[in-house]
Amino acid sequence: MSFDGLELSAIRVSAQVMALATLMCIVVGTTLAWYIARSGRRVAALLSALALLPLVIPPSAVGYYLLYAFGRQSTFGNFLIDDVGLRLVFTWPGAAIAAGVVSLPLFVRTAQAGFEQIDPELLAVASTMASPFRAFVRVALPLAWPALVAATLIAAARSLGEFGATVIIAGNIPGETQTVPAAIYDAVQAGDRPRANALAFFSLVFGLVVLAGLSLVLQRQRYR
Amino acid sequence: MMAEAAHVLDMDIEKRLGAFTLDVQVQADNELLVLFGPSGSGKTVTLRCIAGLETPDTGTISIGGEPVFDTHAKTNIPARRRPIAFVPQGYALFPHMTVEENIAFGMPRSPGRPGRIRELLTLLHLEGLERRYPRTLSGGQQQRVALARALARDVEVLLLDEPFSALDEALREGLRHELLRLRQELGLTTVFVTHDLREAHLLADHMAVIDAGRILQTGGRDEVFKRPASRRVAQLTGVENILPATVLRREDDAADVTIAGMSFRCTSLADGATTDDATFAGVRAERINLRRWREDVPPNHLVARVADEWAYGNTHTLRFEPAAEGPALVVELASRPYEVLGVSHQREWLLEVPPEDLHLMPA
Repeated sequence: MSFDGLELSAIRVSAQVMALATLMCIVVGTTLAWYIARSGRRVAALLSALALLPLVIPPSAVGYYLLYAFGRQSTFGNFLIDDVGLRLVFTWPGAAIAAGVVSLPLFVRTAQAGFEQIDPELLAVASTMASPFRAFVRVALPLAWPALVAATLIAAARSLGEFGATVIIAGNIPGETQTVPAAIYDAVQAGDRPRANALAFFSLVFGLVVLAGLSLVLQRQRYR
Repeated sequence: MMAEAAHVLDMDIEKRLGAFTLDVQVQADNELLVLFGPSGSGKTVTLRCIAGLETPDTGTISIGGEPVFDTHAKTNIPARRRPIAFVPQGYALFPHMTVEENIAFGMPRSPGRPGRIRELLTLLHLEGLERRYPRTLSGGQQQRVALARALARDVEVLLLDEPFSALDEALREGLRHELLRLRQELGLTTVFVTHDLREAHLLADHMAVIDAGRILQTGGRDEVFKRPASRRVAQLTGVENILPATVLRREDDAADVTIAGMSFRCTSLADGATTDDATFAGVRAERINLRRWREDVPPNHLVARVADEWAYGNTHTLRFEPAAEGPALVVELASRPYEVLGVSHQREWLLEVPPEDLHLMPA
């Protein structure tokens, strides 16, 4: 199978979006999952609900809110554009943030489960001997490792497939902000079957690779 | 003992846990203190409060003369800054670290660290296991790694939560002796939580008996075992015969009492027990002597027949019913005297309850 320039650029944009969105999930999601797993029932329930919110509202609604937040209509958006010099609307980083927000719930859920299955006694003993940061890095992270890898793969796959939220904030500019799902949408609209086929098949293969990696990680987790 | 010097460990705390209130006062000085009580009595929570893993509602805890917790001064030093080492019930070895890495976890990086680790490996007979992972070790080895990890840090108080309960009896006995040896070599103040009587007796210098969140008695081991402060302490420390008693005459350190219609002399009295509240008499099963029947029954002797018996191998437990007046008594006899006396065919005996072994105490 060969891809033309437009298709390659869609794959490139998708890869960039996926990489940045996944990175965002790893940093924010791991922190959030750790706090949820370690805090009392009430705080955990609140944070948990907050982290799950993007899962229960339509991605296009998420995109709409982000468009408002990052655009000229809001104070925060004006601050970002004028004072920080950060333009997110109609850019691929904007799409990445949207994809990251949509993928975050899946990451947090999976990572949280990993942290929660750690024997609390291990963390208690660690806390009598080391700083919270050291206990986290040396004990919690290694023990939750398989779950964190699984969470990363799921988040990566989800952010690669995100369409609604990314299209609303970043648009569908071929060669610039057009992602694979958006390009498939365009191709189908335009009746371009070969292009739709090529990109859909690429997505399928990528999905299978992620799933294979996931089951490998989960297999090893069962081994321990 | 030094007078009025600060205790190595001194705590007086209160903590509510639902309907349960923990209200404990404990002191320990360069000794092995056994915190002894049934399950659910609050001994583990007490230990975790000392460690800084649980926060009391009110009170004070000081270690090595330094306050680590004080509700008035709003002091609450985090666990890692308290000079304690904590070994939980299941050891909690880090499964992804080798023996060596487990031991090194709590030690600051320093040039002396590798040497110190080697010392600990030798001290706890763990040589050759440095690179092994916990799951490949036996229960006893895991326990010793947990001890090594605890001792690796320069601490004042070692906190052990039922450290041997998950091991089989043979292994337990060896590790108890090991702990006694370590205690002698290191002279560390140790708080040892257990519900095992034999273990408590073997290891304790001092004991604190805890029940339903309260300390019922503290004192030297023999003091607690021989002179329980109350009926409940007697029960918990395994006194088999606890009998309602009425005081007839009370002297300074002796009393005449009636138990089930028969009078006894007793010379062991719980501290502060007055004639009115000293209403129970206790005697351990192994302190009662069997004597051959004779016509003139001496004082503190009771005519009784074997009603039940259980053979434990090295000991026999016999339940006696009185022939006339007097209480039913449980007697424990080693197997050798059991055979020599011929208890299996001679069923009627005189039971001697020595006055010094009959202990009078409040309910």
